[in-house]
Amino acid sequence: MNLIKFGEKYFDEMEIAIYRRKEIRAEVELNQISLSLARDRTVAIIRGIKDHRLGIAVVESDQEDKLQDSIILAHKMAKMNTPDERWMSLPGKQSYATPKPVEDELKSVEPDFFVKLLIDASKEIKNQDPRAMVAGGEAGSTLSESEIMNSHGLEVSQESGGTYFYLYLVGRIDGGVTPGIFDMDVGRGLELNVDRVVTSLLDKLKKAYTVVPAKNGEFPVIFEPFALAELLEFTIVPAISGERKVKGTSYLGDKLGQKVISEKITIVDDPWHPLNVEQLIADDEGVATRQTEIFSRGTFRSYLWDSYWGNVSGEGSTGNAYRNLKTGGLGIAPHNLVILSGSQNVEDILSSVKEGYLVSLLQGAHSSNPDTGDFSVVANPAFKIEDGEIVGSTVFMMSGNALSILNRVEAISKEQRMVYAMGKGVYPHILFQDVKIASVAK
Amino acid sequence: MEELEKLLRWAENNLQAEYIEIRYEDVSRFHAQLKDGIFKTFTTQQSHGYGIRVLAQGAWGFSTTTKDDDVKDAILRAYKMARVSSTGRKEKVKLADIEINEDVVRSKMQVKPEDVSIEEKVKRMKNLERLLKKGDEVASTEIRYEDASGEKLLVTSEGTRIRWELGYIWQYLWVTGKNEKGLAAARDEIGSVDYGWEFFEKETEELIAERILKKLRAQLNGVYPKRGEFPVVASPIIVGIIAHEALGHLAEADLTINSPFHNLIGKQIAPEYVSMSDRLVEGGFGNDLYDDEGTRVRDVQIIKRGILQEIMLNREYAARYNMEPNGHARAENYSVPPIIRMRNTVFERGDHTLEELLEGIKFGYYLVDYRGGQAELNSSFQVGVQEGYIIRNGEIAESIKDTSISGIAIDALRQISAVGKDFDIEMGRCGKGQMAYVSSGGPHMRFDRGIVVGGQR
Repeated sequence: MNLIKFGEKYFDEMEIAIYRRKEIRAEVELNQISLSLARDRTVAIIRGIKDHRLGIAVVESDQEDKLQDSIILAHKMAKMNTPDERWMSLPGKQSYATPKPVEDELKSVEPDFFVKLLIDASKEIKNQDPRAMVAGGEAGSTLSESEIMNSHGLEVSQESGGTYFYLYLVGRIDGGVTPGIFDMDVGRGLELNVDRVVTSLLDKLKKAYTVVPAKNGEFPVIFEPFALAELLEFTIVPAISGERKVKGTSYLGDKLGQKVISEKITIVDDPWHPLNVEQLIADDEGVATRQTEIFSRGTFRSYLWDSYWGNVSGEGSTGNAYRNLKTGGLGIAPHNLVILSGSQNVEDILSSVKEGYLVSLLQGAHSSNPDTGDFSVVANPAFKIEDGEIVGSTVFMMSGNALSILNRVEAISKEQRMVYAMGKGVYPHILFQDVKIASVAK
Repeated sequence: MEELEKLLRWAENNLQAEYIEIRYEDVSRFHAQLKDGIFKTFTTQQSHGYGIRVLAQGAWGFSTTTKDDDVKDAILRAYKMARVSSTGRKEKVKLADIEINEDVVRSKMQVKPEDVSIEEKVKRMKNLERLLKKGDEVASTEIRYEDASGEKLLVTSEGTRIRWELGYIWQYLWVTGKNEKGLAAARDEIGSVDYGWEFFEKETEELIAERILKKLRAQLNGVYPKRGEFPVVASPIIVGIIAHEALGHLAEADLTINSPFHNLIGKQIAPEYVSMSDRLVEGGFGNDLYDDEGTRVRDVQIIKRGILQEIMLNREYAARYNMEPNGHARAENYSVPPIIRMRNTVFERGDHTLEELLEGIKFGYYLVDYRGGQAELNSSFQVGVQEGYIIRNGEIAESIKDTSISGIAIDALRQISAVGKDFDIEMGRCGKGQMAYVSSGGPHMRFDRGIVVGGQR
């Protein structure tokens, strides 16, 4: 049965989105495998509009009879909703980029592969450092498939998938533990760089055994890619949403075309960046994805839009609609935020710091204020730098404002990392000047 | 239940598994998100599926399915995953014994959300939005409401047979305000598993609007605090989030084992007037009769008169620590395995009034409400503060804006100098790979040192 035709009996416009996801994963805890899992999930979402009234139904099935029932349920919801006079329309037909096929090996990989990765890495860590404990970690693969279709003839299906590997280590010291050390790798196929992750973890853990106090004051601070991603996810990403622009609740307000951050910084939403794992050709309402330059050499160039707010503002969608699979609701988010790389090696940047800090991860970035860009977070793990060398680990608080800190960029590294947790994107190391610090570690 | 029992018998006869557990859920949810006069989501969600956990060759495997005719295959997949896991284990997983229960857990809700019309729910949300918009400084409002009704079954190869009537209501607000000083925002979150629609007789729209507007105005008119270590008087809500983030996570056995708490069990870690529990509380968002392994939930006295006494356990960690399971294995839903989680984490009452706690503080902070928090294994914690005030000469003075507090929990605990005699809790959600509904709270408390304020001055 043509479900769109069936839905047109009930709605003026209707969209069906179906997501199928298969996941295989192994988990490690206390240096041994704690669980392996295989998960299959199918979710279908009906979004219909009748007389400007929205109705959504979410069902964990793609069977035709269940989808028909869900169309009727969504219609019932729409009848009970109030009209949205700003509603214009669902998106029309689109032209898409050529999708990148999912690696074949992802479809046949067995869980044993990931168990072995985790166990070999845990053994290596234990061999190299008997005080180290793998407190947690996972390795696995996902295969996702989505189909989006609507009553305006839009129809797109796409596959994506990838693999991931991460570990979280602590080292035992005097009845306590070091700060937790985290690192990960992601890939489109099975070529995960486990050796790099293990080497980096052990190197950091070695430095974390010496705990030193931080000083109160203003210091140069190098943010590693994971810390940078966390900070931007909760301070910059909300402010570039077109919805906030329309409502006047973005601190970027009418600053399009103005220089708002350091000229050293260019930030692009680039779904097709070579390091990105999920290179999607369409967003969650089927609008073609694209590269959007958000900040160009410090000048604010573009908000991100879905079709609703893009229609309301007249700007049009930038293909940045993201769907919550539990509620079926849509929000605006970047696909893959990229900070363009700089000209210096990480080692050279580190060497240039006479007295300062290196921050690997943040605690509490999610409690930042998205309406102002103000943040007050804990740097943990963080490392103290003296005369260009790391002298030990520490914990401190950093407070400031996103625009203000992004105006104090001293150096950006050549090297970039794909970050796939706590904010997704491709990030370099950045050295900021005059960051306000309050010591926590004694 | 009968179908699941048949499948279990088949699995017991055909697989060499030590333990098999099937959790089935069938839940309907209503979700609405009202943003500035428009329902951006208006959703009915039907969730129906099975989560299967198998212990074989001393290791765990887990699988899920949403299809009724796929459960046997899902059991086989979980069994296969367990055997794969076993190749990466030196020690076999052992489960501590529990009392095997056959029970039906009835909802305590007087008016179940499914019995309330959607029109009534919409009317309440719109009235709440109307009251919020009365605030001159309010620039934008978002109200998210969700309720659920359904059932959950747990059947295990040991004979556990438990059926729950599932249900909850939950509401989250985010309000953005603007004045001559700039933009600010405040959040408010409430929920219940024990009260149904009658919850809103106490949590009226007027009360909620007044509460969040107070927080918003405190932010809008606040000054940036000084950064550094200062005396802090913490409200029940802040005390609760410190109980949860700074101490509760370290007392979850799977985290305890890699934290400073591991070597401190049975030792004095706080003054003797400090006690903290994870327990059933009136109106607690984490209340339940059994956990997702079928263990009866009991109170856990984490800190008793300053001594680290008990930790929260599932069956696996209870066996590892040679302790009794206490009902803290929780799964967000059928699609994820149960892990060790808090329920309602609270500091217990002392005997001081708020005035006594403030007395003698020349300069410090009175912290009232939070926006997010996070803990790490080295006991470093962070809590974002969305309502706080300066204490000057023992008096509550001007409000502060956009800050957070941090400390090393095992150091901060020793700096608690007085405990209030009041008590309150707050409802919220905790993320640990999966989401869990939890509460936290306690009395007002005073920390003379140990809390660092991350101010911008």
